[in-house]
Amino acid sequence: MKGKGKNMGRGHYTLAYLLAALIMMYVSYSLPRWLPGDFVTAMYSSSHVTLNAEQEEGLRAFYTQRQGFGQYLVDFFTLQWGYSYAFLTPISKLIGEALPWSLLLLGTAHLLSMAFGFLAGVETAWRRGGVIEKAGVGSMTILEGIPEIGSGVILLLLFALHLGWLPAAGGETAYVTHSAGQRISDVARHLVLPFATLFLAYLPGNFLLTRGSMVMVLKEQFIETARAKGLPPLRIRYAHAARNALLPMVTRFGLRIAFMLTGALVVETIYAYPGLGTLLFNAIAMRDLPLIQGIVLFSSLLVLFVNLALDFLYGWIDPRVKYAS
Amino acid sequence: MKKRLWVICLHIISASLILGTPAPAQAQVQEIRIGDSKGDWGYPNPYRHYPRGPGYIRMSWVFDTLVWKDREGYVPALADAWSYDPAKMVFTFHLNAKAKWHDLQPLTADDVVFTIEYFKKHPYSWISVEDIGRAEAQGPHKVVIYLSKPYSPFISDIGGTMPVLPRHIWQSVTNPEAYDDPKAFIGSGPYRFLDFNKTQGTYLYEAFGEYYQGKPRADRLIYVRTGQPLVSLAGRQVDLANIQPDMAEPLKQKGLVVIKDERGWNKKLMINHKKAPYSDRRFRHALAFAVNQQEIIDKSHRGFAMPASYGLLSPDHDMYNPNTPSYAFSPEKARALLETMGYQKGADGYYGKGGKALKIELLSSNITVAGQSAADRDGEVIKKQLEQVGIKVDLVNLEQATTDSKVKTWNFDLAVSGHGGVSGDARILNEMILSKYGAGSVNSARYDEDAELAALLEEQMVEMDEGKRKKIVYKIQEVYAQVLPAISLYYPDSMSAYSAEKGIVWYYTKGGISKGIPIPQNKMSLIK
Repeated sequence: MKGKGKNMGRGHYTLAYLLAALIMMYVSYSLPRWLPGDFVTAMYSSSHVTLNAEQEEGLRAFYTQRQGFGQYLVDFFTLQWGYSYAFLTPISKLIGEALPWSLLLLGTAHLLSMAFGFLAGVETAWRRGGVIEKAGVGSMTILEGIPEIGSGVILLLLFALHLGWLPAAGGETAYVTHSAGQRISDVARHLVLPFATLFLAYLPGNFLLTRGSMVMVLKEQFIETARAKGLPPLRIRYAHAARNALLPMVTRFGLRIAFMLTGALVVETIYAYPGLGTLLFNAIAMRDLPLIQGIVLFSSLLVLFVNLALDFLYGWIDPRVKYAS
Repeated sequence: MKKRLWVICLHIISASLILGTPAPAQAQVQEIRIGDSKGDWGYPNPYRHYPRGPGYIRMSWVFDTLVWKDREGYVPALADAWSYDPAKMVFTFHLNAKAKWHDLQPLTADDVVFTIEYFKKHPYSWISVEDIGRAEAQGPHKVVIYLSKPYSPFISDIGGTMPVLPRHIWQSVTNPEAYDDPKAFIGSGPYRFLDFNKTQGTYLYEAFGEYYQGKPRADRLIYVRTGQPLVSLAGRQVDLANIQPDMAEPLKQKGLVVIKDERGWNKKLMINHKKAPYSDRRFRHALAFAVNQQEIIDKSHRGFAMPASYGLLSPDHDMYNPNTPSYAFSPEKARALLETMGYQKGADGYYGKGGKALKIELLSSNITVAGQSAADRDGEVIKKQLEQVGIKVDLVNLEQATTDSKVKTWNFDLAVSGHGGVSGDARILNEMILSKYGAGSVNSARYDEDAELAALLEEQMVEMDEGKRKKIVYKIQEVYAQVLPAISLYYPDSMSAYSAEKGIVWYYTKGGISKGIPIPQNKMSLIK
């Protein structure tokens, strides 16, 4: 009976997510159509081609294909995501090519900033009132106030322009014959500056959140009990306290996923990094409707999927959540 | 005997050095890397490149035209020589017998005839072949093109812009926009197209060893996307890139050569002359007197621009009329004109009429040379200037596509926009003034109300005598500046920087490449 109830709860969960997915699909279908302008205007304005009325009408008829939401859904589930007007390439192929770069840059920056932020937050909260905590909170608060565009440009000028240690743009050196090892090294060199910019942008938030949560948790009675039992400090810190401070971090990670694919636009633009953010930016500028829809929908569904997965993960991290549901 | 032999040998060596030594060959370069902020400009063939200048340039490495421009003017390309017979309205082109396609098939007059016929069936938006009656191959290397009526921009629009297609490939292609076979990129230009990476925004070309003008100087030509051209140039990650004028000095100090374009692109104040009060010429004149071009340049561009002519054509154009009417900044004249229209200043210091305040919506965006975007404060400065005269302004900053869309549908009062081509062929006047030519453009004034102006514009299109055409174009600029359907504001400084270490000299082409592209990536720089 208890198991049935649990399954029903999960079923409701999943149903709610499916409903949200449907709404998101409708939004991604209709939203780009509200943008003023169309592909023909965006593509041919300020061009060296001056269209006469007949040419313009022909192009508009070719590019403005009206499609109902029903057909859109059918196409989506049959993996026919359409063709990009601008790239003349299947949407799925374009997303597939840009996604690994986004995952590499943003995934690495997210995970490492989360891991470092968490560890640093736990350690400084444990040493509350000390010099390390004061210095950590002060420096991270300042860092939190520096926008990505500021740190990005400073890093670029310092390490690429003045010192010349690192490349200024791209994901790798184009059209160079490399061995596998050399290619990895080349990709890593190109990754350093955009990664560092994002790492510096994400780290302070993770640090301050963890530290704040830890400070609260460390005041709890069960921590006092653990201390009274004479448990080793490392075990109290991580097995008892940090585990309870982890939940807000997981929530933050889920929320941040929304920005992970498209939110690093500024950094991708500064470093001409070939990710999904750049692809979306170009698609909007060109009013490439099918591509905008494809990227927005893909990102939205990924956010939903990750949050659904995190909902299940909450129960594993903190059994109280499971029992409460 | 030995001495005599030695002297003879010395003479032979000297003679061979004097007579037989070829001109010192320029060193072959392994590769050239060109930086670009956008990266993606479509696939380099006529039907798949983007319709802006950089898209055409990427195609121009692969596909040759009949004639081309170097820094001096028109030079032979596929055609060694050409002539025009005004009595018969016929252009005759003699093709270079050495010209080959990238698949090593010979290029013949049949290919040129085929190209014209193909573009009639499947229009290529960069050129108009409607004034060509027919084309005829007279032998393998002679092609004759019969015009149905005189067409003065023929050499610029057709001869120097029309990419010649290989008949043996395209004759069976019925849907050119969808044709993406590797054969779609077989041209007769100096470079073979090898790759376009959409995600990275990179292009790779390889020198065509059998090119009829000799193998190009760089073995590989590569385009890469760069967010910061200053850093990429200074670090020698690219050899050539467009730069902001502020970057010029630091780059010179880093040993790069900085080049500046002529005035070929203008920022313009679009006016919705379809509705009152903008339909009244006096009001447009008042706007022109109220706008201080130099102040916009100083405050918004740190002095890196030149005030524009009100006659649309650039002062660098061969047909520029130096006596074009102008509107030197004069708030007094602007106010006087408004008052002749019945406007009176209210207590708030702004004009109104019949109890209704005069309020203008000004759309602003950040377009600049070659379709790029650059942050500026033009809208803010113009708003301040108009408000100083007494015209209340509601400034709306929009991204480019939205501004373009509103201008296109006449859903605006004033809009800051811009376009190039003002130092290219004078046909630009027709495109930027008359709706017949510029209906599809967001930069065209689409102003058909003045019969004299419309007649002059039609006349210049059929006047094949350069001198006579120049007189007509002079008159067009005068009339245009008087009726003033749009106000040209300034020509921004357009600069590029390149590394001279590889021995390649890049330059801006007079009148722009092809129809007026203000980009210094002329393929002649890489042809020996």
